[in-house]
Parts: sequence; structure tokens; C-alpha cells
Amino acid sequence: MVDISGKASNVWVIVLSLVFAGVLAIVPVPNWLELWRPDWIALVLIYWVIALPHRVGVVSAWIVGVLADVLEGTLLGLHAVVLTMTAYIGLKLYQRLRMFTPLQQSLTILMLIGTGQLVIFWVQAATGQNTADNLAFIISSITSALLWPLVFVCLRFCRRSFHVS
Amino acid sequence: MFADSRFDYLGRVRFYIAIVVTPLHLVADLPTRASEAFHSFFRTREELEAENQRLQDEMLMLQFKLQKLDHLEAENQRLDELLKASATVDDAAVRAQLIGESSDPFSKRVIINKGSNEGVYVGQPVVDAHGLMGQVMQVEPLLSWVLLITDPLHNTPVQVNRNGVRAIAAGTPDSLHQLMLENVPSSADIKVGDELVTSGLDQRLPAGYPVGVVISVKNDGSQSFANIRVTPTAQLDRSRNVLLLYSSPEAKAARAAQKNGAAAPLSPEGRQ
Repeated sequence: MVDISGKASNVWVIVLSLVFAGVLAIVPVPNWLELWRPDWIALVLIYWVIALPHRVGVVSAWIVGVLADVLEGTLLGLHAVVLTMTAYIGLKLYQRLRMFTPLQQSLTILMLIGTGQLVIFWVQAATGQNTADNLAFIISSITSALLWPLVFVCLRFCRRSFHVS
Repeated sequence: MFADSRFDYLGRVRFYIAIVVTPLHLVADLPTRASEAFHSFFRTREELEAENQRLQDEMLMLQFKLQKLDHLEAENQRLDELLKASATVDDAAVRAQLIGESSDPFSKRVIINKGSNEGVYVGQPVVDAHGLMGQVMQVEPLLSWVLLITDPLHNTPVQVNRNGVRAIAAGTPDSLHQLMLENVPSSADIKVGDELVTSGLDQRLPAGYPVGVVISVKNDGSQSFANIRVTPTAQLDRSRNVLLLYSSPEAKAARAAQKNGAAAPLSPEGRQ
């Protein structure tokens, strides 16, 4: 893809990272680890929203969400709504988020992904897709927050080495 | 998402989007495949010989049982004819492979590598070598999602092999390896160790496939229903090879119509 200045913006790196996140989201793991699986798609999406708000926004989040729904077999539109919401808050916060220390960033990510997980849990409980009655689903947002610094460093390295803009 | 949960028309949309995301499922399955290939590559001759010996012994035993089964089947058919009962159909089956499972820790669904291209349909029963596993809940072009019998959303109509007592086995939210018999009166004649088979009363799952074995019966005096736990006979967490049953006549016809090129369905005894 070529933008106005005539320089390649390497959008394929963004797409590839999201595809990779999708694979990580469905790769089979033992049952006890399933609860601890971080929300890879949301993590990668949040990174690109913060880094390139003019490239990745609410619409891309919606498209990624619909694909994630089909991928994970959830209700069509569930991840779409949640990721759109996450991306919107991310767009509102990106200037502050860039200034934050890694710890502050992780806490923000915890809130962002935790809210998303809560909405997913609500909808699934309301439609009878989920019969669990505890808050175990929150665990995955905690692992997401813990892994955020790693994701951030890796994706920043990718962005800089491929000059994604 | 409201529309998806209440109505049916988004099914087509999902069906076509699925074409785009199917490769991800195949990629996600690669590590498992690689480790399997690794294991089969580095096996010693002794191991293979031992396995060969074991399989031959097993085959001998099975053939021995089959002799009796043939006889029993013929006898059963004669009795059925005497009683003017409708003949039981031989179910055709197609082998499929597990390539993934639901990433949602609260639901028990798995993904198999056959989809609408092989004539898989929603509600199709899935069994493994030991018993009933579940039924197809969603079909994509190259994959389908199977709801396991232990999922809390799944109810299986069952029958006790010993005396024909009927019940409904429901999945439990807490454990992968247990089913519960619902609304069975405390006086019902069900004991620990009883084998349960499908009763076929739902007109969907064929009758006579093993479902589970009763592991505990608790009669609490304060409740009118017994608390009966069942462990499934199918190896829900270990089976990688499963069989898709084509039991209804329409499904069989549809399957036969598009059979050319695809793998031929094999009847349970391997003869057509």
C-alpha cells in the first residue's frame, strides 16, 4: 500500500500481527491453561490503536471482531462490539497511554480488557451460552495485563524495523 | 449478536466469513501435527512390532466377537420381522479428525476437519471407538463444530442397558468428565455400574450407542429425585479420530449423491 507521501506504509505487518494473534487465540492448550489464555487479539489491536491511531481505529476493530467471532465460534457480533468499544476507549486514551510507565499501561490494559471480558460474560450469560457462575473469566485479563509489556516491546520492534506508519 | 442468537439468517454470513478464517484453524493445529509426526518418525522397530502384535491380537478378539454378532443380528432381524417391527438400519460412518477445541474455558466444543463439503449437517451424531461423543452444532465449509455430550447445553436421551429404564443425561458445568441424570425418581432401578446407551427417542441420535457408565447414585431423603452421576464412555479428551454417523435416510441419500470423489462411507463392519 502506498500513502500520499509515496512511501510504503507496510500495513501488511499490522494484518500479519493480527493473524498471528488469532492463531494464538485458538491454539489448543491443556484445560487448566485455558482460563489463563490472554486475550491476544485485543492486546495486539490495542497496541496498533495506540501506536497508529490514524491507521487502526473503530472500523478495523469491528472487522477484526467479526472475524474473531467466526474463529472462536461465539455469537456473531459479540467480539465485534467488545473490540469496537475497546478500540474507542483506546483512541480516547492513546495520548495519555503513550506517556504512561509500563506499570500504569498494564493497569490500564487490565481495565480495558477486563471490561471487555465482563461484557462478553454478560451477553453469554444472558443468551444461555455460559453457565459458569463465578468470576474466573477475569483471570484472562490479568494474564493479558502481565503480558502487555512483552507484546508492546515485540510489536514496537516490528513497527520500527518494518517502518510501519 | 442478538440476531444471531434469536434468528437463523446470519448463519449464511457466518458460513462465508468462515472461508476466510479456516486457514487459521489449520495453522493452529500445526504444532500438534508436528509433534505427532515427530513421534511417529522416531519410533523404534521394537515398538512398532509390539504394537503390531497387540493390534493383531485385538483384531482376533474382535473378529471372534463379530462372528457371534452376525448370528445375533440375523436372529434379531428374524424376531423383528415376527413382531412386525421396523428394521433397524445399519448406520454409515465417515472418519473425521479433531483439529481444535473451543478456546472458551466454559464450553465443551471441539472442531473437526469435515464440513459442508463432505455433507456434514447440523445435528449429526459424532461417536468415537468407545461411545457417543456429541453432535454437530455448526457447519462451516471445511470444518464443523461439535457440541460434546458433557456440555451443559447438551441433553442426551438414554436408556439403561440392563432393564431399559429411560432418562435424560445432561452435561454438567463443573466437570468435563461427568454427566448427570435429570429428574430420575429415587425409586428408579439404576445402580452404580449400569451402562447407558442412547434411546433414540429424540429422533436425532440413533439408538443403541453407548453413552456412559453410572458412577454414583445418591438418594437424598429430602429430595424427590436421585442424584446420579455418569462418566462418558467416549474418550472425550483423548480421541483424535472420530466417526460421523449418517443415520437418517435423507442424510444418507444426500451423502450418496455427492459421494463420488470423497471418501466412501464405511458401514460398521467394514462391508457395504
